[in-house]
Amino acid sequence: MRNFTYLSRFWQYLLAFVLIASLTALFFSLRNVLDTTLIALLYLMPLGVITAVWGLGPGITSALITFLSLNYFFIQPYYTFLVHQPTDIVILMVFLMVAIVISQLVGQAKAGLAAATASEREATQLYELSTALTGSHDEDAIAQILAKQVHAVAECEYIELTITGARPFVYQLPESSSPARPPELIVPIEAARGLLGEIRLWRTTPMISSGERRLFQTFASQGALALERAWLAQAEARARVLEESDRLKSAILSSVSHELRTPLSTIKAAASSLRGREVRWDSPARVELVAAIDDEADHLNMLVGNLLDISRIESGVLKPKRDWNILSEIVGSVLGRMKHLAETHRIEVDVPESLPLVPVDYVQLEQVFTNLVSNSLKYAPVDSVICIRAQVEEEESIHVQVSNQGPQVPAEDLERIFDKFYRITAADRVTGTGLGLSICKGIVEAHGGHLWAENLSDGLAFNFTLPLIWDGTKPPQFPMDAETE
Amino acid sequence: MSNAPHILVIDDEPQILRAMRTILTEKQFRVTTASRGEEGLTLAATNEPDLIILDLGLPDMDGVDVCRRLREWTQIPIIILSVRDSERDKVAALDQGADDYLTKPFGIEELLARVRVALRHSAHALSVQGAQSKVVKAGSLVIDLAWHIVKRGEEEIKLTATEYKLIAYLAANHGRVLTHRSILTQVWGAADADHTEYLRVYMRQLRKKLETDPERPQFILTEPGIGYRFIADE
Repeated sequence: MRNFTYLSRFWQYLLAFVLIASLTALFFSLRNVLDTTLIALLYLMPLGVITAVWGLGPGITSALITFLSLNYFFIQPYYTFLVHQPTDIVILMVFLMVAIVISQLVGQAKAGLAAATASEREATQLYELSTALTGSHDEDAIAQILAKQVHAVAECEYIELTITGARPFVYQLPESSSPARPPELIVPIEAARGLLGEIRLWRTTPMISSGERRLFQTFASQGALALERAWLAQAEARARVLEESDRLKSAILSSVSHELRTPLSTIKAAASSLRGREVRWDSPARVELVAAIDDEADHLNMLVGNLLDISRIESGVLKPKRDWNILSEIVGSVLGRMKHLAETHRIEVDVPESLPLVPVDYVQLEQVFTNLVSNSLKYAPVDSVICIRAQVEEEESIHVQVSNQGPQVPAEDLERIFDKFYRITAADRVTGTGLGLSICKGIVEAHGGHLWAENLSDGLAFNFTLPLIWDGTKPPQFPMDAETE
Repeated sequence: MSNAPHILVIDDEPQILRAMRTILTEKQFRVTTASRGEEGLTLAATNEPDLIILDLGLPDMDGVDVCRRLREWTQIPIIILSVRDSERDKVAALDQGADDYLTKPFGIEELLARVRVALRHSAHALSVQGAQSKVVKAGSLVIDLAWHIVKRGEEEIKLTATEYKLIAYLAANHGRVLTHRSILTQVWGAADADHTEYLRVYMRQLRKKLETDPERPQFILTEPGIGYRFIADE
């Protein structure tokens, strides 16, 4: 780089000499036409150009060469360097003055231009940095961007960026280890709340100028601002999560306390009236009260079970204990248990025995069917039909549908009915914690399946899929009639 | 009164102990209670009760361990108590030799039915294998374990060898829960103890042949996550 400057300087002198020599040759050929004064004036042109383009050194050299050429070729006596008249001295002085004045003017203009270019470049670099930093809320990314920009602008051999704080880390460019000597420049990354880290820079040549130092400090403070912004955004996100979980907790509390108190009040009222001998020993009311206590205790047990299930699903400890099971057996067992509940509706089952065995947790799948059917019982009108169907889908999974002739769900709520504590109708019309469907979803998903709701022309359907492949194994099949007595 | 069966209840919750003592005393049983596992083991050794009701969630010991330590020296029937969703523990305790289980909260009829079955099986174990225990009746079904015949009314039902082995094991232990593992080991052998799918398929076949409505069985009941139970006439 430096050799190149020397070379070009040599070429400048050479070119200046060549230019003046060729003009001298031109003027010499016109010596008889042109007046000496005119030639002297014409010589000012190359002189001005050379000084303006190449600066003072070539300018003064050219002034001397021009004066000598003029003296030798055009001022009498010709072909001598002798100075006979004072006017010749004046011409020399004028040439030199012109060279000096022009070079000064051009020099000033150039310096101004260089300063303007430099400050424009600085502004561009800062702009690039701040654009890159905008929208990045990740400390690592910010550090990386900052280090890369400083590295590119400084053209340094090595850079190390250290971030202190809650999660300290170091970012280095290039990734090899740092030079053995201490860094040439250390720029602190400082923000309102103190030192956030520092940039360490290794560059011997050229020396780091005060302008660069100032630029890197600006870079560092931009980085500090971005880091602070990132930390604030993270703090805000955390606060939002806390707020959300707080809101959920109070929803749970209010729902749970309401739901638990209802059966408890019934039990308390019935038990205390039995105890207080207000009800006669043989009164039919006694049977009623005892039945109420029994039923409400079951209800309470179910609520507590649901709460336990949902907390298990939430914390991800709900692990299905799979076995090869017969789906129709599970459905049958659920309906058998719900017999007294299901007297109000007609239940149609189309779960063929020919279905392959399904790899599911028997107890959990029973719960899915129980919840889906009891949801249908709750919402669908009395005497309507509840339908349970199952069929194989593409040999890899089984598709189950539990449909009812109950009210439809607005399209925008079809997803949300599986949210915890979400109920579409007024809470006082239908009892329950609003957990049944979320538990179903949790269980089906834990089995690798998918559960969704869909509006039918005359009601609502719950659909779910269950994979038939378990650890890469297809359902076992038995030649059952091969063995005979 | 001194001939009344003696029941040892091991549970750490005083309310449960209070309720059990009241109910069982009312039903003419003698009742001893223990609130810790070690205490229960000592009382079992010194009092030699006829039946032990054991809660799986004890503060000092794992209920399954209590079960195992009891089985090291006695065949006293054990009924375990546990909460819902702990099928694994229940199965572990049953495979360690417990006779039956009850899930909290339970109804009193259920408790008494389990107690009756457990006491009867222990009596059988002690008695010389009498001829009357060789025929099990369930509704119109008659299972003759001596002659290897299963009949509905007067009509004989054709069963395959495996099906017969299965129903014979269930019927001989009627009223008692049998875990998948115990049935598989008994009927197919220890090597097939994990093949629950055999059980599912054969049980379906058996229900088709024996039950009036195979989807809503009356005799061969599924105990979700645990095993099966055969219900016979008392």
